[in-house]
Amino acid sequence: MGYSNRQEADKTVVEIDEARLDASQATPFRDYMTDLISQGQRDLVLDLSQVDFMDSSGLGAIVGALKELNGDGSIQLAGPQKSVNDLFDLTCMDKIFTIHSSVNDALSGGIQ
Amino acid sequence: MSSVLQGQSEDIKPQCITLCIDSQLEDTVLVAMAVRGVCGMTSLTAEEINRVELCVVEVVNNAIEHAYQGRPNETVEVDVMLNPTRSLEIVVRDCGTPMSKPLSADAEMSVPDPTNPETWLSSGRGIPIVERLMDEIRYESCEDGNAFHMIRQLG
Repeated sequence: MGYSNRQEADKTVVEIDEARLDASQATPFRDYMTDLISQGQRDLVLDLSQVDFMDSSGLGAIVGALKELNGDGSIQLAGPQKSVNDLFDLTCMDKIFTIHSSVNDALSGGIQ
Repeated sequence: MSSVLQGQSEDIKPQCITLCIDSQLEDTVLVAMAVRGVCGMTSLTAEEINRVELCVVEVVNNAIEHAYQGRPNETVEVDVMLNPTRSLEIVVRDCGTPMSKPLSADAEMSVPDPTNPETWLSSGRGIPIVERLMDEIRYESCEDGNAFHMIRQLG
């Protein structure tokens, strides 16, 4: 359970090994992302495939991390389940993030 | 025959379950799972159940984070009232600080502009999501506490 990361080509893949990215997880997740960004990781791919529920606080944590990059870098999303995709669609945050069907697609540039 | 069936469905008594959790965000999942279980008794699709769960989580979290300002050891009570042929009503009650703004003031979903990071809000989407997904919402506040009503029509 929790978060881990690995380097794939020139990107940092962040694996979220949590079924729920909700208000109770928003702060630890945001702290994890802040640490990565402060270490100089600026092209990030979030592997959301294990997340079956996300609320507005989880979404806010991802948006907060994107803003922390301050335009110097990117956060791409990979493998969201239907309910998570629905949240991005409902909130129009799919306009801000590039969403890929899988990590492999994100690394090779495919879009969902 | 159809009128008999209609009459029978009108006679179905609404069922109600009341859930109580401590005011900590880790416990919201208990309400979420219970509500999913009740939703499974209805005609709601998997996507619709996900959306009801999202709404309940947003309102319960709102009570914990805003009404109780994150204080634990307070109670959030959730009534789930099911009339299987008509509606699902969920009421989230707390005894904390009432919401300061009317629901309508919070209900607008801001649309982010990809070219303007100032519009990428990292909070404030919970109530607009609920407003968008539920058929009816209502907020009441009195001396006994606050109650956030959400109604989803069925069938």
